[in-house]
Amino acid sequence: MKEFMMIFIGADYADLGLSPEELQSRMGKWFAWGNKMEQAGHLRGGNALNPNMRRIVGKDRTVTDFTSAEVKEIVGGYYLVVAKNFDEVEVIAQDFPDYDLGGTVEIREVMVFDR
Amino acid sequence: MESKQIDHLFRHHSGKMVSVLTRIFGLAHLEIIEDAVQDTFLKATLTWRNKQPKNPEAWLTQAAKNRVLDIFRKLKASQKLLPELKNGIDTITVNNLFLDNEIEDAQLRMIFTACHPKLEAKDRIAFALKTISGFSSKEISSALLTKEETVKKRLSRARKAILKANLKFAIPQGKELVTRLENVLEILYLIFNEGFHSNKKEILVRKELCGEAMRLCKFLLKNKHTRPPESYALFALMCFHAARLDSKTTNNEVFDLKHQNRSLWYFPLIQLGNAMMTKAVTEEVFSCYHYEAAIAAEHLKAKTFEETNWNKILYWYEHLYKLQPMPSHILTMAVISLQQKNYIKANTYFKQINADDFEQRSYLFYSAKADYYLQTKKVKEAINYINLALENVNNSLEKDFLEKKKVQVLKMLN
Repeated sequence: MKEFMMIFIGADYADLGLSPEELQSRMGKWFAWGNKMEQAGHLRGGNALNPNMRRIVGKDRTVTDFTSAEVKEIVGGYYLVVAKNFDEVEVIAQDFPDYDLGGTVEIREVMVFDR
Repeated sequence: MESKQIDHLFRHHSGKMVSVLTRIFGLAHLEIIEDAVQDTFLKATLTWRNKQPKNPEAWLTQAAKNRVLDIFRKLKASQKLLPELKNGIDTITVNNLFLDNEIEDAQLRMIFTACHPKLEAKDRIAFALKTISGFSSKEISSALLTKEETVKKRLSRARKAILKANLKFAIPQGKELVTRLENVLEILYLIFNEGFHSNKKEILVRKELCGEAMRLCKFLLKNKHTRPPESYALFALMCFHAARLDSKTTNNEVFDLKHQNRSLWYFPLIQLGNAMMTKAVTEEVFSCYHYEAAIAAEHLKAKTFEETNWNKILYWYEHLYKLQPMPSHILTMAVISLQQKNYIKANTYFKQINADDFEQRSYLFYSAKADYYLQTKKVKEAINYINLALENVNNSLEKDFLEKKKVQVLKMLN
């Protein structure tokens, strides 16, 4: 078994003008997905990220503050899961709730260092 | 990670919190308030992803309370006037305003604000759905079959009208209450009808609108000042209609009263309607809602369409027409007379009205005339009128219905 990270990229909910009803229904889908992964023993952890960000870039260490509205796509959160391979994570990622909002799931394998 | 949520928890909570915060900060700050409440839902959506609080509603209320200080700071920073909070925020007072009965009071104030005659009639419906029912402009546009841009314009026009008239966020009293309550009942009735008579095929949207109108009407019934007989009568009417909602559309087909599967009628709502009707008739004065409810109840009493007591229904319609002289009531009476095969009487009704009286709904007039000619065996005239109805109908379900009828009538010619 290997560890993978699913990274969620897309527009911030706040910038999409979702209604309370839509937000509740999305939340329900996230719950359902989380439960499913947990019960199947895949889920190791994860977090949602606040949309505000500070970037430090280049050798001059240029600092810029952004809000999600200024950047089209932001990393909104991640889950850490255990699976056999990419194919299995791809199957898990089918239930990601926000594809219809133009969201992306990026699957990355966590690198293991030999001692 | 148990996940079951109460249906519409967020939507209804939005209406509650917007109302309470408006009571604290005043109608002038409605936009800031709406944004702040929306933020609490965004936050909940993200933070509950991994761990849901034991009492979601309390969590949301606390989040809204926490926003009070944020809003206060924001308003102070932009140096906006805060007349009601001159002496700083009194935490006890604020906490008290979040108690259940005070939340209901605030929602009632919002209902009266939304239905205020200073707002244009169309703007009232949109504004009520937004502020009390927690619909987004997109949801309102889809429910009312209007463009989202139009809805946004209506909402902003309503906000401006409220500011311009400097409306108080209050439940009117004394004589003013009587007329203002009439306005409220009218808007709730319109919202209900938007759902009940909607052209929309999706039953869900229609149910939501009817459900909202009923929920708002219930607020009126909870307060002793806002529940005169006509409030009960309107609620009874909504119950009777709502009981038939499931049988109105099946598999995307519209069924009229004659063809509805009566076993699908929802009995508990009929019972509730009857109970409300009992409360509505404690005084001798009857409103339009009384007569409409009586008519709806009469339909529900009949086990089959053939058993309908048309005489009684016609009698109620005559009363209704006296209170509310509308051409649509005459058309209905004509249709009822047709039902009773009283063609002479039907004709006297038809003579009192013409297609122009019905504007976009002229197809209803043409279609009724077609029935008249069909039953009096004048098939060619009947086809003419069906064609006229088809030319003027813009609702696809009604169109299908008319097309089918035309095919049947054409067969009679051969």
